[in-house]
Amino acid sequence: MNLLVFTKRVPATQEEELRIVDEGRGVDLSKVPFKVNDWDNYAIEEAVRIVEKTGGTVTAISIGNAESDEVLRRAIAMGAKDGFLIETDQVLHDPGARASLILNFLKKEGITYDAIFTGVQSEDDQFASLGGILAARLGIPYASMVIAIDAFETDHVTARRELEGGLQERIKVMLPCVLSIQSGINEPRYVSIMGIRKASKVERKIFKGNDYEDNVIPGIEVVKWVYPDKKGGATMLDGELDGICKGLLGILKEKGVYQ
Amino acid sequence: MSIQTQTRVLTCIQCGKCTGSCPEAGRTPFNIRMVVRRKQFQHHIEESIPWYCTSCGACTIRCPRDVKPSEMIIDVRSVMVEEGDIPATIQKALENTFVHRNPWGRSRAKRGAWFEKLDFEVPHVSETVSKRLLFTCCIQAYDPRCMVIPANIAKMLNKGGLEFGVLGEEEACCGNEIRRIGESGLFEELQEENVAAFKEYGIKEIITLSPHCMNTLKKEYGDLGINVSHYTEVLANMIKEGRLAPKTSYSKKVIYHDPCFLGKQNNIFDEPRDILKSIEGLELLEFSRARETSLCCEGGGGRMFYEAETAYQRNSEIRVLEAVEKGAEIMATSCPFCVMTLEDPATEKGLAVKDISEILMEVL
Repeated sequence: MNLLVFTKRVPATQEEELRIVDEGRGVDLSKVPFKVNDWDNYAIEEAVRIVEKTGGTVTAISIGNAESDEVLRRAIAMGAKDGFLIETDQVLHDPGARASLILNFLKKEGITYDAIFTGVQSEDDQFASLGGILAARLGIPYASMVIAIDAFETDHVTARRELEGGLQERIKVMLPCVLSIQSGINEPRYVSIMGIRKASKVERKIFKGNDYEDNVIPGIEVVKWVYPDKKGGATMLDGELDGICKGLLGILKEKGVYQ
Repeated sequence: MSIQTQTRVLTCIQCGKCTGSCPEAGRTPFNIRMVVRRKQFQHHIEESIPWYCTSCGACTIRCPRDVKPSEMIIDVRSVMVEEGDIPATIQKALENTFVHRNPWGRSRAKRGAWFEKLDFEVPHVSETVSKRLLFTCCIQAYDPRCMVIPANIAKMLNKGGLEFGVLGEEEACCGNEIRRIGESGLFEELQEENVAAFKEYGIKEIITLSPHCMNTLKKEYGDLGINVSHYTEVLANMIKEGRLAPKTSYSKKVIYHDPCFLGKQNNIFDEPRDILKSIEGLELLEFSRARETSLCCEGGGGRMFYEAETAYQRNSEIRVLEAVEKGAEIMATSCPFCVMTLEDPATEKGLAVKDISEILMEVL
């Protein structure tokens, strides 16, 4: 099996207080650390586990600036054979434009595959639609929210999709296909620094993004970054500790939480 | 073989002194003598076993043949780390440290949150004349229970007229626990990053708040020509010199728990006691296992991030029960990991756990 997995370097924003700058034209990420997109980490792990069983190769592909190389090194340390960087400084928010770029890249470079894995979504843009749009452009089947892969045969894959209400649906998807991988499908292995250093010795191929820009026309563009509207409902208690505790007890009693 | 040479496992005579001194022996499946034996013969070691080790160091300190079982455990763990097969919570701590430079995955920008609430300005160390750095430690920078410790010590240093500065968000995890978890590559990265900052700002002295940071900065960062001390050494000296003087009486029975990385691993036993003895009215009690034989709280060596699979009576509970039996009203210690592990069982028994700095702050 030849599996392509898309992996993205994203800002680790969960603990950060993000600031909008340039009158809404950008977000200050200068002090924010970056990491691999969580869903892509599961996708790489799943692909590596499949080829460990069936044979074949995993190729990790990232679209982004030169620093995205770090997620490729990480993927190679996890077991991917190759890492391809489609280098571009252009920020493609529109998943449609990203899908077009990928389509051009795969065709122009003559890259063959049995399946393409993406994460369900990326932590930064959260469109959760790259996999679906890419499959449509390629004219191949697509399954989203894949939470288990039970069998990978020569012509099809048997997988399970995560549904609401605690249900899963087992599906048969003909190959080649695109699957978007849900977090929790596996327990991704730990990637050590030594492992990443060793992976650095594997050459990653760099492709220039502007070689694949035919018909890459974003249909969606970010007009302005804004903060959510502030809502009421929060009461801040301040003053001395005794007073805060009494105030809190009063509120809890009033709301019927504490009798 | 080179690993065996470094940890000297082949010289082990299986006397069992290591197991006899191990805080995990008998209550958990961890038998360090057996692990050394299996390592000697390169036999398989069950994967959950190495994670019981608290890195207290008792086995290595007491070995009559100079074998280093606690270092051997790090080697065993490092193989698991390289294979990527480690407990999920340990993995999370390592990944957080890789991305955020602290095991809790908190924002690096908030590492200085504790000193923003002080009523005096704490300068960046580069702005100080003394180039004396107060090294915060991750848990004390972020954990609400422990954030009071650096704030208190900063106030006391300020009161005693000892100039100091901080690195703020430029400070990275010291890596003491990271090395003991077996992630030597990440430890090297943290070491390089911190050393680069020390050199850039010409640091001459480091006061550490955690014995774990002190241990690695002093013994594992190489010879940097920087004097590294624990805050108890600095405060004890300030009291001795009369720069700090406890004013009010503290009529309480206080029992002192020696942290492994301060006491048995770095021989700092007297300074914490000197601080407590300088307080009028305070009655200092001792555990039956005190100083070199202090019972480990089980917070070190990655155990802060790992919940053992076996249910057993924790050492922290044993410590609390003895403290209560001895009539202690307060259990004092000088390590944030000890504070965190001791506090839960102590609260259940109505016993207060305080860092020495908290007690001293009350009487100044």
